[in-house]
Amino acid sequence: MAHVVRTLAGFLALQAATQPATANISSIWRHMSAALYQSIDRVLSLLIAILPGILAFFVALVLFTFIGIVISAVLRRMLAMAKFDERIARSRGSAEWTPSSSPTALFARVSFWVFVFVGLVIGVSAFDTSYAAGTTLPISLLPYLTHIVGAVLLLIAGTLIARFLARSVLIGAVNAQLQYARFLSLGVKWLVLVLTAAMVLEHLELGGSIVDLAFGILFGGIVLTLALAVGLAVGLGSRDLVSRSLESHVERTGERGAPPANSPSSTPSETIRHF
Amino acid sequence: MAAADPIPGLTSSSDRTGGSLLVLPAPMPAAELESLLARLSASFSPGSLVVATAEPVAPEAFPGLRMLSIPVAKPSVTLTAADFANAYQLAGKHDARAILMLGPEAGSLGHAALQSLANSVLSTPADLAIPYYRLPSTAGLVNSAILYPLTRALFASQVRYPLAIDLGLSLRMADRLARAAQRFSMLDPGEALLWPVNEAAVAGFSIDEVDVGPRALPQPIDPDINAVLAQITGSLFADIDLKAAFWQRARRLTLTRNPVRPTMAVEGAADTVSMIETFRLGYVNLQEIWSLVLPPNSLLGLKRLSVADAASFRMPENLWARIVFDFLLAYRLRSINRGHLLGALIPLYLAWVAGHLNVAASGEDPEGHVEAVASAFEAEKPYLVSRWRWPDRFNP
Repeated sequence: MAHVVRTLAGFLALQAATQPATANISSIWRHMSAALYQSIDRVLSLLIAILPGILAFFVALVLFTFIGIVISAVLRRMLAMAKFDERIARSRGSAEWTPSSSPTALFARVSFWVFVFVGLVIGVSAFDTSYAAGTTLPISLLPYLTHIVGAVLLLIAGTLIARFLARSVLIGAVNAQLQYARFLSLGVKWLVLVLTAAMVLEHLELGGSIVDLAFGILFGGIVLTLALAVGLAVGLGSRDLVSRSLESHVERTGERGAPPANSPSSTPSETIRHF
Repeated sequence: MAAADPIPGLTSSSDRTGGSLLVLPAPMPAAELESLLARLSASFSPGSLVVATAEPVAPEAFPGLRMLSIPVAKPSVTLTAADFANAYQLAGKHDARAILMLGPEAGSLGHAALQSLANSVLSTPADLAIPYYRLPSTAGLVNSAILYPLTRALFASQVRYPLAIDLGLSLRMADRLARAAQRFSMLDPGEALLWPVNEAAVAGFSIDEVDVGPRALPQPIDPDINAVLAQITGSLFADIDLKAAFWQRARRLTLTRNPVRPTMAVEGAADTVSMIETFRLGYVNLQEIWSLVLPPNSLLGLKRLSVADAASFRMPENLWARIVFDFLLAYRLRSINRGHLLGALIPLYLAWVAGHLNVAASGEDPEGHVEAVASAFEAEKPYLVSRWRWPDRFNP
């Protein structure tokens, strides 16, 4: 009996102890819900605030892309009707710099991308205007967005220039019978690529002085390697030249016997006239 | 082809119609010009020639010639668009019936050659008189490798030197060329090349090839093959591109050439080793660029050629024809930058030259080899036409 009474007293004591805890939990839940509701409310308010801006951005982009497509198609047709490619081909003849697309295609493509770019700029400014709700986000992000666009353009231009120069050097070096043509071409390509990468990082304001330092080391390293390689190659090549020159000198002065049968100077060579 | 027989009745032909022959010699040293003028005045009757030159010449020294003074032209080893435009303008101004244009070092042309060229446009129905030079197998190689075979295959003309530097022109031919020259008004017309044989073929004018014998051909100031090949081949490729509607139709040859004539003998052997080395170097390094232009079959042919012995080195004719056609297509399609394209052609051209010189050294007639190459170009023309019309189907 006494055991039952003790158990009952313990149960009542436990009940008395858990009642304020339950009240606390429900209070926390209430606070959390309120906080969550407030957050969601703020996010939704923000979303509603920037939604017109996003919409304006996409409308501007889509509209200008569409205008670009139309203008590009019209331009392409007009230039084709005016036989623009033929006129350019006649007037330019066999000029040194010739793009890989036809002039008409080039003009059409450029006009299209100009419109897309204009759409992008107008969209961003529209977004900026409609999102000027007192937050610091546009101030920090929008200029960076333009930096990213500039960096991408720099990267594309740098890659194209690197490829063009690498090919020019490769072909020129092969036609000049330089054995290290590929090495030279790769060196030039990486020089331009490293320069481009440094410019891109500088434009993005990333890395700071580390980029300058790394660029200086890499660029200097490539130039030094190229200079050493070319110097060595020229040195080794001129060794033959000097020895041949000495041989022919000795032959002329009669100090030595007849040159080897396979010597280039032993057979009279007919002048080749390509033209 | 007309024979090089001097026709003494030239003056009577000229007198019958009352017109004169306008002669335009290229700028040349005074002594050479005087020698040429002496030869002209001896070859033609007095008063039948009007000579327009920029060099000061005493008229009393050549009383039979009417001398005209013209502005100094930009020196060039070939006839340029500006030359043709000026020639037609002068012909109209001085009521000339035909024009004789003489390139640099024309002093090496004989009496008979001068008379034949002039006579061809004055007393025959020919609109374009073009010389056949007798050159050694080591000269005029760009012409033998590319210009002649391409012109023959596409414009059905057997003219051996399509870019001849001496020409006889009828007035309507001169008019046609002057109109063609106007297209280059935006560019420096003193540098742009015209292709008289192609123009004559498209216009349906008659062409007469005149054997003028040996001639000293002037060489470019900059003998760099890169510049020569890029300028001349690039210009021909551009002209072919412009006239695509014409040459895609099958045509018969307009001239029936006499049997292959022997070329001048060559003293000494030409050095082919450096050319073969350039080709091999190109094969190792330019694979990436060649594979953008050439189909696998041609690349395989080049691989075989790259391991060939220097003594037996010879580019197969059909392989060379396909290579030139593929480069022509790449020029048209702009597969790669055109400057790079023509630069990448040089090692292949040098390989052809090395093979050609090996043929000549082996005792085989080099002219026969050039004719075989031209025949290969004709045989491969359907390949070019197919790829020209449907380039994507044959993408390498």
